[in-house]
Amino acid sequence: MFALADCNNFFVSCERVFRPELNGRPVIVLSNNDGCAIARSNEAKALGIKMGAPMFKIRDIVRKHNVEVFSGNMALYGDMSKRVRWTLEEFVPFIEVYSIDEAFMDLRGMNISDYDAFAKEVSARCWRNVAIPVSVGVSHTKTLAKIAASLCKKYPKLRGGCYMAREQDIEKVLRKYPVGDVWGIGRKSVAKLTDMGVHTAWNFTRLSEGLVRSIFGLTGVRTWRELRGESCVELDDRDEGRQSICVSRSFSHEITDCAELSEQVATFAAQVIEKLRAQHSACVEMVVFASTNRFREDEPQTALSRAVLFDVATSDHRKIISSAVHSLRDIFRSGYGYKKAGVVITKLIPESGVVHSLFEDGRAREKEVKLSSMLDNIKHSFGRDAVRFASQGSGKVASAHERQSPHYTTLWSDIPTVKIE
Amino acid sequence: MEKLQPYMIDSESSAEFTLCGEVKAGFPSPAEDISEKLDLVKLLVRHRASTFFFRVSGVSMVEADMDEGDILIVDRSIEPYNNCKAVCFIDGEYTVKRVEISDHEIRLMPANERVKKYKPIIVTPDNTLIIWGVVTYIIKRA
Repeated sequence: MFALADCNNFFVSCERVFRPELNGRPVIVLSNNDGCAIARSNEAKALGIKMGAPMFKIRDIVRKHNVEVFSGNMALYGDMSKRVRWTLEEFVPFIEVYSIDEAFMDLRGMNISDYDAFAKEVSARCWRNVAIPVSVGVSHTKTLAKIAASLCKKYPKLRGGCYMAREQDIEKVLRKYPVGDVWGIGRKSVAKLTDMGVHTAWNFTRLSEGLVRSIFGLTGVRTWRELRGESCVELDDRDEGRQSICVSRSFSHEITDCAELSEQVATFAAQVIEKLRAQHSACVEMVVFASTNRFREDEPQTALSRAVLFDVATSDHRKIISSAVHSLRDIFRSGYGYKKAGVVITKLIPESGVVHSLFEDGRAREKEVKLSSMLDNIKHSFGRDAVRFASQGSGKVASAHERQSPHYTTLWSDIPTVKIE
Repeated sequence: MEKLQPYMIDSESSAEFTLCGEVKAGFPSPAEDISEKLDLVKLLVRHRASTFFFRVSGVSMVEADMDEGDILIVDRSIEPYNNCKAVCFIDGEYTVKRVEISDHEIRLMPANERVKKYKPIIVTPDNTLIIWGVVTYIIKRA
């Protein structure tokens, strides 16, 4: 058996932990330039606020219904996520943190007599410990557990826990479950499936394995088997590190100046390197991109991107930042207002596995390693902004957090106050 | 309050007092291998998942040793019990009170007898009460 613990409307729920009066009221959280709704309470969903809706399009609804609006507070969400994780670890030895608000639990070999009671108990403990509502689904496979968890959100009477394992129960649920909502089935597959007359998860499980394989490949077959109750996706508790790292932001204003945009890109590159080095990896490929505000239909639109291949896999600050900045300067087109930019690195390999080039200058490389590890140490001891490359400028990302809640659990100056009068 | 350092509850970062140092020359210290230490975080935070900090403002609890500026350590995992001190959220506001729980009612008791205006709150069905978390320690400046 597997369980999926999925935090309901996670960012909104985090905002409610220290503001219980917001329960029952419409609340949304905006993306980091206060641009789009990235989390909505059920009440906000009921008002018709869509996921990703840009703020300027929903301003009237927000005003009319007195919707509580927050800027994202990642320090708070990260801390709450960790607390939920710790709570789940009280129940099982192995969990796989799938995202900031979801984790799988491996229940195989555990002595659990009543899975339904177990699921409800996990949810109740998360609420008691952290005040975050969590939906816990239990079933034979990870894919089915995810579906079971989604039922908890739909039916409050399940009290946060749903055990779905009997064949007839699974069939009943899958017959109503849109195939596009199944974990692992992407938008492109949905289009193909719709053409084939496959609308529900159940329809999908009735296809022949050969047909699924020929159209959707091995991953499709995996999902198909998982839906039929055969576990194919193992719990990934090994910290293998990620295959790509991306840092991108929308800006609070449109940037028209190449120098200003370069500084931002250099800062993103520095943040990417920080994450890369934290997992002891090196990267082979990097993509730098920038784009205009696609919601400003009155303004000229463009999207820039440039991929860079390093001859030797690297995690070196100077190499990566200078390549990022040079690429940006190369592709920059003036006359546009850039609203978003980012740096992605892909093809990550462990640092220990880097193969060096025969023509590389060994001494230069040694220096490079020394400088980079020195930078790591300084950042570790004095904070991320203690030292930076000149190309980063002031190092401040131009983003707005006008409505951010206090960092209740991560800054002493922000801890909540109780008045006793 | 002075400016304080950002701080997260984390088992990796904990205050410790080490009694042995580096030995530059001579015979190595026989205490070198002993990893025994006093860890304030371990003492004060029993449940890292459910422990939160609040700062006190106001004086209704001075006889319960809670003063303006104190930091309360609050553990949500503890089931509220009779006479526990707890952070409560009542009718839209936070307060700290001693909670009297009996079979038929819940009363929020202040602990400052000198000031008459602090009266017990008898919780009725008209109130919305959330007992947010039980206070386990009070950190105060001596």
